[in-house]
Amino acid sequence: MTDTTASHVESATVQLNEDWVAAIIGIAVFVLALLGLSGVDLLGWAVKSKIWTDPAQSLAPFGKSYAWLGGLPSLVLTYLALLAVLSAAAAVIKANVSRFAVTFTAVFWIAYLAWNLGGYAHFAAETPAELTKYGVTWSLHLTAEGGYILALIAGLLIANFFPGVAAWLDEAIRPDLYVKIAIVLLGGAIGITVAGKLNLASAVFVRSLAAIVEAYLIYWPVVYFIARKYFGFSREAAAPLASGISICGVAAAIATGGAIRARSQVAVLVASLVVVFAVIELFLLPFLASTFLAHEPLVAASWIGLAVKTDGAAVAAGGITEALINAKNVAAGVHYQPGWILGTTTTIKVFIDVFIGVWAFVLAHIWTTYINPNTPGGKAKASEIWDRFPKFILGFVLTFALGLAAALTLKGQAPALKAVADETTIFRVIFFVLTFFSIGVLSNFRRLWADGLGKLAAVYIVSLFGFVIWVGLFISWLFFHGVKPPLVS
Amino acid sequence: MAQIDLKAEVHGAEAEPLLPIEKKLIGISLGLGIGLLAILIVVNALGLL
Repeated sequence: MTDTTASHVESATVQLNEDWVAAIIGIAVFVLALLGLSGVDLLGWAVKSKIWTDPAQSLAPFGKSYAWLGGLPSLVLTYLALLAVLSAAAAVIKANVSRFAVTFTAVFWIAYLAWNLGGYAHFAAETPAELTKYGVTWSLHLTAEGGYILALIAGLLIANFFPGVAAWLDEAIRPDLYVKIAIVLLGGAIGITVAGKLNLASAVFVRSLAAIVEAYLIYWPVVYFIARKYFGFSREAAAPLASGISICGVAAAIATGGAIRARSQVAVLVASLVVVFAVIELFLLPFLASTFLAHEPLVAASWIGLAVKTDGAAVAAGGITEALINAKNVAAGVHYQPGWILGTTTTIKVFIDVFIGVWAFVLAHIWTTYINPNTPGGKAKASEIWDRFPKFILGFVLTFALGLAAALTLKGQAPALKAVADETTIFRVIFFVLTFFSIGVLSNFRRLWADGLGKLAAVYIVSLFGFVIWVGLFISWLFFHGVKPPLVS
Repeated sequence: MAQIDLKAEVHGAEAEPLLPIEKKLIGISLGLGIGLLAILIVVNALGLL
């Protein structure tokens, strides 16, 4: 296990402020973007990365009214804005602010460089029309979102070949914070996107209920049973492991560890494993989904949400899956509206997250009443449901409601609403890039193996590849097959 | 943070047999899960979702 993972996961158990900070930043950015509806573009200076053959042409400010700024100054401005906001966030969550500022600078520039490299036309061009447009004869067809993979690889290289650098970057390696902000931002964009298709959106929401049942009541008991019965793990290790594999990775493992009054190191151990397996899933599942499920985009979206653990990796994988599947369908002449695949993956993840507190309370009650009544943490209290509730979800709900309300009341302003969603996406993409890079930096495979996690990994492999992925695919197929995203009109 | 001896933690744990309450937790969760899923599948098939 890495020290970096350990310190962040441990601090996450005592500093739930991170959730509130993520919610506030996400809401603030979305509200600023919404002000664009009044004709004042307050965030148009943010940098947008394009597919390129000449690196000098790869960057530009998002807003047309800021075109005079130029690409590189726009990038510097975006960096400075994020540095200021996230340094303030670091102060709130009691991180070392000066150290955060220095290391965030390195994280931002490495991650963004990797992201920008992913826009190289030979990597990213999707369709024959784009090949012609950019004057290239071949492409890996990774789409612009292939930059996420490059950011992840950059992080992995640092973690596994330059562990000293990874340790130095520690203070700014905060994938949970970055992805929570991205999810809150995504809420607003989803609200705007679904306004015109409320029937489909409500169908997605209702079908997402199945994901909750599947994660908590099917996966969890099976993984727990396998870990206890066949691998001989203690209760203290098996419960966080079951939650990590079944529910949503790091957050669930930590919540469960706290609920059953396990030593914090046990949850940290599981969390490290979850991150490493999330990386493997990130490399595999979006490409499998686009290969076999391109004709059923929402089955793919649901599957990714159920199979990829940790919010960051799941939502990020949803983004890659959407890019790959939409590109494939565009090549076949089918133009799905963007946002539905990623929106479905995120909705499923958020629905699952909502019940972490309730499940942790159930486990806490059983452990402190029947299994270990003399536990030092005392009896479970109902207030633990709220304590363990992931508060950033409130930010997601609020931005979703704001986006939906704006779209329903301003139906005649579709281009302006789209601009708001696109502007939000600029920042969401940057936070995704930071998430991918951070996940990579936390994934020191050699160290993990050296620490003797082979047996834990075996449970993970058996559970994940033995049934989690397949049951998830089956359930996703049952509930989402035939449900297609709307076409671009 | 202090590093835990992970190998000992993972491989050296004494065998803890499944308690009745754990079996109950597993059984009730799984039963409830399969039941709810069946209901959702039926509701979905009837076009009520």
